[in-house]
Amino acid sequence: MVIIILSDIILGNTLRYFYFTEGAGLHYRTTYSIEQTTADVIVFGSSKANHNYVPDIFEKELGLSFYNAGRDGASIFYHLAVLKSILKRHKPNFVILDFAGKFDKSRESYERLSSLLPYYEKHKEIRKIVEQKSPYERIKLVSRIYPFNSMLVTIIVGNMKFNRNRKDDQKGYVALKKEWQVDIDSVNVQSFYEIDKNKINALREFIDCSKQADIQLVVVFSPIYYLYNRDYTLDLLHETCSEKNVSFYDFSKTEIFLSNKKLFQDRSHLNQNGARVFSDMMIKILKDE
Amino acid sequence: MIFTSFSFLIFICLVLTCHYLVPANYRWVVLLTASYIFYFSIKPVFVILLLFTSCIAYFLALAIDFTQRENRKKVYFITSLTLVLLPLLFFKYLGNLSEAMMYLLSLVNISLSFPRLGLLLPIGISFYTFVAIGYTVDVYNGDIKPEKNLGKFALFISFFPLILSGPIERAKNILPQLNSPIVFNYALASQGLKFIIWGYFSKLVVADRIALYVNAVFSNLSMHNGNSIAFASFLYPFQVYADLGGYSLIAIGSANLLGLGIIQNFKRPFFATSVSEFWRRWHMSLISWLTDYVFIPICFIFRKYKKWGIVIALMITFFISGIWHGAKLTFIVWGLMQGVFLSYEALTINKRDVLIEKYMLASKTWFRLLCYVFTFLLFTVSQIVARVANLQDAFFVYYKILTSRGPLFIGTIAYFIYMLFGLAILLCKDIKDEFFVSKYYLLLSRYRLLRTIAYASIIILILMIGVFDAGQFIYFQF
Repeated sequence: MVIIILSDIILGNTLRYFYFTEGAGLHYRTTYSIEQTTADVIVFGSSKANHNYVPDIFEKELGLSFYNAGRDGASIFYHLAVLKSILKRHKPNFVILDFAGKFDKSRESYERLSSLLPYYEKHKEIRKIVEQKSPYERIKLVSRIYPFNSMLVTIIVGNMKFNRNRKDDQKGYVALKKEWQVDIDSVNVQSFYEIDKNKINALREFIDCSKQADIQLVVVFSPIYYLYNRDYTLDLLHETCSEKNVSFYDFSKTEIFLSNKKLFQDRSHLNQNGARVFSDMMIKILKDE
Repeated sequence: MIFTSFSFLIFICLVLTCHYLVPANYRWVVLLTASYIFYFSIKPVFVILLLFTSCIAYFLALAIDFTQRENRKKVYFITSLTLVLLPLLFFKYLGNLSEAMMYLLSLVNISLSFPRLGLLLPIGISFYTFVAIGYTVDVYNGDIKPEKNLGKFALFISFFPLILSGPIERAKNILPQLNSPIVFNYALASQGLKFIIWGYFSKLVVADRIALYVNAVFSNLSMHNGNSIAFASFLYPFQVYADLGGYSLIAIGSANLLGLGIIQNFKRPFFATSVSEFWRRWHMSLISWLTDYVFIPICFIFRKYKKWGIVIALMITFFISGIWHGAKLTFIVWGLMQGVFLSYEALTINKRDVLIEKYMLASKTWFRLLCYVFTFLLFTVSQIVARVANLQDAFFVYYKILTSRGPLFIGTIAYFIYMLFGLAILLCKDIKDEFFVSKYYLLLSRYRLLRTIAYASIIILILMIGVFDAGQFIYFQF
């Protein structure tokens, strides 16, 4: 038992140290979002956000600094946690929330909060959100290794010189380079599902935090390359934004994207060309706002 | 409450505490209570089914033993089997049966629609039904006397470490243990703890890690090339082995901690030199159950057909094995494939033995290696059918493997490395246990420090690279 505890403490603390010294990559971008960014405009969201918003274009046209805090697979809980951490030390002028995902009762969104475990110790403001992962999270976090589960290789690579030198992102934005080859088709989207109130409340809290900090907030559903009849998630988004008097822009049926597969890498993500077109459109919206 | 959940760890600790606080003669009461609480926590309403099965098997076994008249014995026996099987047939197969009937009728242009039954399958029903059937048959055949204590019998059926995924235990192994004072056995408990640790390693580090990769490939078959699909197909048997094997070890280990000995379920199946040997090493509790209660009786019925009688028995046995695994055509085909492989071996065994002896092949390493590889390939080919959603997808997989080339899909490189690392450790341990039984002791070293470091390393590895939740995923962008 003693050997296990000692090993856990030594290895855990070593992993913690090297996690926060990574120079590039996914972990670095999350740490930068939570602890360092002081950009005037910040976009939050999952992979759609991460690959659809080009900072250079925004900075050039708006004259404001821009950071893309999007992260693959992130949920509304993640966005709320990052926003809260940012607001503790900095007030951006604009926040864009690119919403993807659903408000359903799946456990996935909670389990993906494991990406925030390394920050649990230092950031009290995110603890309640992280503890939603499971009722035993506080007990599990007694282990020093646990927050860095499955991160060993990424931490090692993240600290290597070649990784610090290669920048796979541009102010958080990761460009996708391929072109989608398949013609557009229809997709069966769930018309109704049982709502997880925690997720709706997290969205509401995101909006409230932005408003309380006097930040201009825009909620967006960025372009997709498939057709659907009616999407319950979009209806709920629309409803919540109307209730909170927040602008919501839905690009899911914008013709310029639906008619051009070359702007996409896959059905849900714009490639670098599509991202540039979309960023230009978003700039006009932000200027109007 | 699955074994790999934190709540199960808390549950087993509480059960252990209560178990050893109570006098040895009454510990079975603690286990019975814990087993029903465990099952209740999964889905309360299904406790009724569990009670129903237990009571039917219990009372009718007593009736079988009590009555002297053969006709009446038979009636009780058939009634017991029917009533015990009924819930399994209803929940597991009725939905698929109605769909199959609609499909078959549509082939002859008869359009008939049955109401779609959205039935939730009671968890563990396949396992505890087989346990109850085995008990009933043993009593009917006079192999054992029926258990008189309803509580101990109910515990035998519902014992929580085994109820979800086995091993499928026998009355003659468990009931005598329950009818003796359950005492703490240091050697058994120590073995149990080691099984639990290794079980968690197999499940969390190997099985769930491989599952990330296999699921990423198999859920996007049209987007992957043949090389990636082939690689995922080769990994899948290891995933199932580590998953079910790991789960079994946790179950066996938990029972050992509680003072009960349970049969082993896996014995390094990938070192089998034939399909028949493979099935003596893979899911041993299920195969021995099928052998005793299906294969041998059918062999006896068809004994006049000699070898062809064995073939018929094999095909029926593995047909049942297939549908037991799942109520889908793919599982039936999977089962029948096993039957075909085993039938071929049964029909050619004499000729093969002559060849092997003539050229002294059994002692040749290259021959043994060839047998391992060939047996593994046969199993892998059949597992593809079990893995996919339907037969069409199975043919698609075979087609792609044979015709489509391209770079191997890696996914998230870190996860790929952890997967190979975990699998390598599992294989090294199996190689050591198979070929170097009395050498290279780490986990069973006589040096306490070495043993401790070995187990501590496994626990640290579980913490570092185990898959604990859906927080890890392979993001596949095309």
